[in-house]
Amino acid sequence: MNLLAVKQPPSGLTPNPRTSPVLISAALISLGFVALPLVYLIGRALQGDIESVRIVVFRAKTLEVFTTTVSLVVLVAGLATFLGSALAWTLQSIDLPRRNLIRALVILPIAIPSYVFTYCWLSLGILPDGFLAAVVVLTLSTTPYVTLAAMAALRRIDSSQVDVAHTLGLNQFQIFLRVTLPQMRNALAAGALLVSLYVLSDFGAVSLLGVDTFTRTIQNTYQGSFDRSSAAVLALMLVALSGIVISLEVSSRKKTQVTRSSVSITKQIEPIDSLKARIIAISLLSTYILAALIAPMSVLLFRFFARPKPIDLLGLSQAAFSTILVAAIGALIALLLALPIALLALRASLIGKVAERGVLLVNALPGVVMGLALVAFGSDFPMIYQTVGLLGVAYAILFLARSVGTIRTSLARVPENLTEIAATLGQSKARIFYRVTLPLAAPGVLSGTLLVLLSAMKELPATLMLRPTGFETLATEMWSNTAIFRFSEAAPYALLLVIIAAIPTFLISRPDRQESTEPMRDEI
Amino acid sequence: MTTLEIKDLGVHLGEREILRNLNLTVPSGSFAVLLGPSGCGKTTLLRTIAGLVRPTSGAIRFGKQLVSISSLVLPPHKRNIGYLPQEGGLFPHLSVAENVGFALAKAFKKIERDSIINEMLELVGLTGFNNRKPHQLSGGQQTRVALARALATKPAIVLLDEPFSNLDYALRAEVSGEVVALLKKTKTTSLMVTHDREDALVSADLIALMRDGQVVQAGSPENVYMNPISAQIAESTGDILELPAIRVGRRHYISALHPKSKKSFGKSESGYLLVRPEEIRVVETKKGTKGLTRATISQIQYYGHDAVLELGIAGLADELKVRVTGPLKFEVGSAVFLEHVGPIRWVSQIPTGE
Repeated sequence: MNLLAVKQPPSGLTPNPRTSPVLISAALISLGFVALPLVYLIGRALQGDIESVRIVVFRAKTLEVFTTTVSLVVLVAGLATFLGSALAWTLQSIDLPRRNLIRALVILPIAIPSYVFTYCWLSLGILPDGFLAAVVVLTLSTTPYVTLAAMAALRRIDSSQVDVAHTLGLNQFQIFLRVTLPQMRNALAAGALLVSLYVLSDFGAVSLLGVDTFTRTIQNTYQGSFDRSSAAVLALMLVALSGIVISLEVSSRKKTQVTRSSVSITKQIEPIDSLKARIIAISLLSTYILAALIAPMSVLLFRFFARPKPIDLLGLSQAAFSTILVAAIGALIALLLALPIALLALRASLIGKVAERGVLLVNALPGVVMGLALVAFGSDFPMIYQTVGLLGVAYAILFLARSVGTIRTSLARVPENLTEIAATLGQSKARIFYRVTLPLAAPGVLSGTLLVLLSAMKELPATLMLRPTGFETLATEMWSNTAIFRFSEAAPYALLLVIIAAIPTFLISRPDRQESTEPMRDEI
Repeated sequence: MTTLEIKDLGVHLGEREILRNLNLTVPSGSFAVLLGPSGCGKTTLLRTIAGLVRPTSGAIRFGKQLVSISSLVLPPHKRNIGYLPQEGGLFPHLSVAENVGFALAKAFKKIERDSIINEMLELVGLTGFNNRKPHQLSGGQQTRVALARALATKPAIVLLDEPFSNLDYALRAEVSGEVVALLKKTKTTSLMVTHDREDALVSADLIALMRDGQVVQAGSPENVYMNPISAQIAESTGDILELPAIRVGRRHYISALHPKSKKSFGKSESGYLLVRPEEIRVVETKKGTKGLTRATISQIQYYGHDAVLELGIAGLADELKVRVTGPLKFEVGSAVFLEHVGPIRWVSQIPTGE
């Protein structure tokens, strides 16, 4: 019997492994959502004629805004990188009592949104506002991003390298400069990038402190004159600035080859046990914790307990409910958009790769820009303009990178041989996903979604621009009260926000969680 | 009851050619073993049969059903096969019963499903383990659950990819014996990948020897052991001695073990004789040694149940390694006499390369 003598292919045999058309269309829809803000922004900017675009770009005010923004980014990123790596090295290399507690306290300031921090700053009534205040406030609140990245990098350095350096005659400081620091380089660059993007997109702190960066100017231009075309031009300039920052980080990154002498787990570096080192360490750490965590929290608590009027319980619970409702809608949309992108990206499909890169780019979009873009979109579709749904979509697109990153990592961790066995056990691709992949990836999918939910709860500028009239969240309530110096009225909202925001901070500061958030950070 | 037939199979992974012109037939109900060094394409062949790797040419047939021809394939979930990968591959989020019942269609009622699951667990000797999770099982138990899962749908063909490699040595013989016995009892056509030659010789009905992406020889264990087609192939089933020799005429051989006799005349050709170490009889007494080869023991490797003697023979550059059993009665430096008692395996030359 000649097996090859078959005239036409028998039924059931397929020529190519097809990716399901359902999955591809789902990913294309996700891609459409991701592209939406940029497309609308460009469209809106081009509505004005070229001459008016030129005027906006080249007027003196724009140059001033540009200078302010860039100097703020450079100063804050530099200071936060220095402070963050010092804190990380201290925590990792010096033997301290209750290190885990101190580590948590050093990371916790991430949970205080910059506008809450600024609220605390201003409500003291004695501290100045302006550029320098913005530098201090933003540095203190962004330092933990660098600390987290640097600590992860330090943990990966094998202690045997330090031992060898010692035997080669280097002292502690030389070892730090020649062995440790070069290996932290990429992590510090990634941390500095996160800080830069944070500062570029920050709206709350700079607005309250009266510093005219791009975000504040865009919001003012939009609100003051309803001149959406000029606002869109400014927003595009801000997007371009973010793009430049990202490409700087990518080009500064060096490919480091990780070499291990054996397959064994990396041994952690032995902490230094000396009194002098401990005193220096404790004074550095406690100064930071005092300034970035204890001081603002004391102010907040003082304002909360010393307020003259009782809490507006109805308003507070309404705002809390609205916050949770709209954030949950956003998280759900993000989950639906993220799943097909993560699935396709894993299969090395072109659409998946493009969508994933797009998501990372949009991740750098400031909330103000997102708000502006969706306002433009909404004005074309009055049905959805100023609805909770559109605000949910804004959250989903803004924070999509967070869920794509964690979902993709957890999907990638499902062993391939299990899906293969399921195939040999007669399960179609869809059923394998439902019965094997999803149950095994569930914890990661859930925490990715939770991360979006909690980020959305803290979001301010897009919420201000897109919320339905009369719809107040915790963030907007606290914002509007602070803006008119009603600090006591703002206190309950601020406190509740900080409590809510502390939850994801605990999630990401757990060492076993950090690995899963890293790929996202690395690929920006 | 399904014959597995593979014809002219070619597989590329990326640019690399992994399998080429591979032919193999596994008769219905028999237990076949793929044996070969790592990197020869054993696992790729198994995965291609399972439908997990797409071939570039050739055809695969399960009985009368064509499952793969050139690059057209039937997807794995429509092939009705059982697959036992290394480590067993149990689903960690499911219980033993859920693992075993994983492939049972929803068409079955729960009662029917449960009875099949229990039947399978009884078959592999794990009755009552239904609600355990995979991490609560020992390595041997995991392998047995994986087998129960693979057999639950009564597959046409079962494929095993070194399923016992994660078990420790003592357990391995036991579990592999049980699994093979079970597959033979259920008359399931099976193909197992291994690099353990003893495993293969003990269990197989059919051994297929692989080299560089091809099946170079296939047959019963006795056949491939006794009649290897080359020295290299002989090595994959056991130790082999390559004895320089001269062939005179058509039936007479002269070598260190075959002294010249009166009949040794005619056209001669040089080459090698392939001799298994246990095919040389070692005699220590001086009586009745006429016509035998004298050798001196230069080293003894003692293994307990047997020993390997390294023997120096006048006129032979390399030492000869010979396996002797029984209580050891030899000493280094003493003289012994050798007799070749096995079949003659003549090769004109030893191919260079490996």
